[in-house]
Amino acid sequence: MFVPHSDIDLKKIYEELSINSLSDLFSHLPKDLILENGVDLPESISELEAIEYFETISQRNTQNLICFAGGGHYDVYLPHTVKTLTMRPEFMTSYTPYQAEISQGILQALFEFQSLVCDLTEMELANASLYDGATSIAEAISVAINKTKRDEIVISSGLHPNCKEVINTLIDNQKFNIKYIDLDDFHFPKDYEFSENDAAFVVSYPHYEGSAEDLSELVTKAKDKGLVTICYVDPTLLGILKTPGNMGFDIVVAEGQSIGTPLSFGGPTVGWFATKKEYARLVPGRIIGESRDSNNLKSYVMTLRAREQDIRREKASSNICTNQTLNAIGSAIHLCWLGPEGIYSMGYQAMQKANYLKNRMKEEDIEILNHKSSIREFIIKTPKNSDLVIEGMADEGFLAGIKYDDNHLLIAVTEKRTKQELDSYVDSIKKVLNE
Amino acid sequence: MSSGGNASSLPLVGGLPEPTIKELSKPGRRSFNYPALDVPEENIEHEAIKTEKAPLPEVSEHDLVMHFSRLAHRNFAVDLGFYPLGSCTMKYNPRFADWVASLPGFSNTHPATPSKFSQGSLEILNVLEEYLIEITGMDFASFQPPAGASGELTGLLIIKRYLENNGFDEKTNIIVPDSAHGTNPASAKMAGFNVVEVATDINGLVDVNELKTLVNEKTAGLMLTNPNTGGLFEEDILEISSIIHDAGGLLYYDGANLNAIVGVSRPGDMGFDIVHSNLHKTFATPHGGGGPGSGPVAVKEYLKEYLPGPIVKKVNDTYEWYQPQFSIGRMHGYHGNFLVALRALAYMKLLGKEGLDNLGSYAVLNARYLASVLSKTLPLAYAKPCMHEFVATVKELKKSHKIKAYDVGKAMLDKGFHSPTIYFPLIIEEALMFEPTETQSVDTLDDLAHSISLIIEDLKDNNQNLSNYPKNLPVGRPNELIPAKHLTVNWGDFELLEITE
Repeated sequence: MFVPHSDIDLKKIYEELSINSLSDLFSHLPKDLILENGVDLPESISELEAIEYFETISQRNTQNLICFAGGGHYDVYLPHTVKTLTMRPEFMTSYTPYQAEISQGILQALFEFQSLVCDLTEMELANASLYDGATSIAEAISVAINKTKRDEIVISSGLHPNCKEVINTLIDNQKFNIKYIDLDDFHFPKDYEFSENDAAFVVSYPHYEGSAEDLSELVTKAKDKGLVTICYVDPTLLGILKTPGNMGFDIVVAEGQSIGTPLSFGGPTVGWFATKKEYARLVPGRIIGESRDSNNLKSYVMTLRAREQDIRREKASSNICTNQTLNAIGSAIHLCWLGPEGIYSMGYQAMQKANYLKNRMKEEDIEILNHKSSIREFIIKTPKNSDLVIEGMADEGFLAGIKYDDNHLLIAVTEKRTKQELDSYVDSIKKVLNE
Repeated sequence: MSSGGNASSLPLVGGLPEPTIKELSKPGRRSFNYPALDVPEENIEHEAIKTEKAPLPEVSEHDLVMHFSRLAHRNFAVDLGFYPLGSCTMKYNPRFADWVASLPGFSNTHPATPSKFSQGSLEILNVLEEYLIEITGMDFASFQPPAGASGELTGLLIIKRYLENNGFDEKTNIIVPDSAHGTNPASAKMAGFNVVEVATDINGLVDVNELKTLVNEKTAGLMLTNPNTGGLFEEDILEISSIIHDAGGLLYYDGANLNAIVGVSRPGDMGFDIVHSNLHKTFATPHGGGGPGSGPVAVKEYLKEYLPGPIVKKVNDTYEWYQPQFSIGRMHGYHGNFLVALRALAYMKLLGKEGLDNLGSYAVLNARYLASVLSKTLPLAYAKPCMHEFVATVKELKKSHKIKAYDVGKAMLDKGFHSPTIYFPLIIEEALMFEPTETQSVDTLDDLAHSISLIIEDLKDNNQNLSNYPKNLPVGRPNELIPAKHLTVNWGDFELLEITE
């Protein structure tokens, strides 16, 4: 399949190589290692049969649940324009742009991605993407460790549990002490005292629980003690929230799924990484720079390559090679589609709709833990086990949210939800909670 | 000469640069359109809310589409021409897999959906696991690693955790060939190991005698790709495997070169304990201009409980998430690059047993043919028969005519082909590494070899300025020093530089 050779072609090749069969190619391999009968797998199916095969399996995912789950991955409206442009074969089937002269399209699209991320977060330098939000936090912590040569990490506890697990995997906890600081009424404790042994202050904005606050003072306090301050931001709220750059953060990372990529069961998505220029040589992953060619024409090229694994090997700033370029291009196109008014509406409508849902729930005596401080995502108390609530709500046609713990549910609202969906969500959850 | 892989007809010839989207922005223009807010609006006071709008470009939808379409137009791609890139396996990416990945049941499922409501996605991972472990000769797999380098790190963390759990704290060395991909030593370092390099012998294989002297009680494992980065099959792999295992170390297979042996031979049978596969190479998922990839890690049964969790487990007729007991932890926020895994399964379903059994054979056949034809123009680095890729060198031409691998690669761009991988592996001087893959026709291979012979003749001409190439592309060679020195990495940076200097 997908091998172009006709019998005539094969004859020509066999003659050139003086062989009589494909197995002659492997006469130099140890006999014991040759697979006598090939692999034990099903026969090929045609494309027509494969359509049925994959459609059938896809329908085993419960279809059309109205999504109130968030936690970094949001069911926002992804315009067809963004999808079809991102899927252009020249973007999709090209290789990493090492050969700049035939890769100006990818290079410029990534340069624009970097610039858009910088403009949106108010930072100076963004890379061309990392794997996802969770791994980006871990990479940012590594930068802080390399910069400060300290070994204590302060992390706000209001972080997605999966991100905590990834940090735990990627940051060696035998060498570094990771301190999770509990939130105080859904805010990072304002009186927290940082120490001069601390390398990094990591905080999610908004917190995993959905609450947000102006973090400027904490950032100043942390920087006074020489910490590298790291903000993990929800990019869909950057049209309405104060920017991490404005609050003084040194590094901004994000889970970029909601800008340019469908939910995709969590992957591929894209990790955003932006910082200040003074950190340039510590940044993980690829960076695109603007230059001029031999005729003084504008041209783009991968730059600061001496940080990367293919050149520095074990001394590299990260082992990352393949990244999430196509998703980064999707982010760039989506941000341009949104513009200043669109990104504002995306956040503003989500916040207003969440507010409406909270009000409606309050009327029904459902307890909301962080009504005032939350933006578009919040926690409700579920008198019965939250797993049962999620199951019951699925029967009603909703993905009700993410289980926060046995008696709490984390609910996210995006700009895409309609009043009718919000109203029927309230009706359904009332029913499910009282069943 | 005409061939399917020759892209020299492309109207890439550019007169002017494409402006940035910011330069195309004008106040008041817009693409976005959302429904009007349909809930009662409240005045929400919140300390984190700002009043000013984000400074994003303002463009019409048509301007947006034209801009990014023109950028797409300024790029080479597998859909346009031949990439003989060694170590990258730039084969044809079947269109059908795009359609599978866009099925709403897969693409619109939230990753936190409980398994009861995402049985289809779990089934995909389970079926793909069956394919992967059969092809590689392993027992269980995790799909969390989103790329090859992440797969390497996963494997090394598994080795570390396994050795610690069994009381071998003194095992801190990972042996890596001097020909290895850069990610190997970088990943070993990230996992907290010391990197010990083993040399390649004159035949291009791991120097087994040196390996014996490097192995000791500190040896935690060996990272190897087979065939190696010189494109040669490590014929002593069973002995190498014994040497490492006898010292209590583990064998890690870097799957970058798996395409050579699919259906021919299996890492698991060679003695490897851990294997990562690059689905974006071997299993034909598109490379996306640099990603996304997918680097699932498969292990032998005794390492199952160390895999990044959760992994999928089939219980009767349902699929569940299973958390391995000594799991190294998560390598990704959720389940890895699921849609990439899905595309790989679509490819494997179409190939089926017959296609997979012959995959490695045809990949090797094409490489062997191209090597044979090309060797009439350029000497090969090694005499041994190659597998799916091979290395040629212009070492002698550099001495006689100052022709560098870099110049040959650049001149090839003008002829409608992507450059081969150059200066890799690092141990071969002026290396040009070719990997044709099984999806290119014999005409395309002939055309490439012929083009290279013309290039060499042309470059040998003493009146030729070698750095003139490429001449027919949107831009010539960019000055690489400017952005590295002045950090022109954001729009406006370069203009500011021009003003200040």
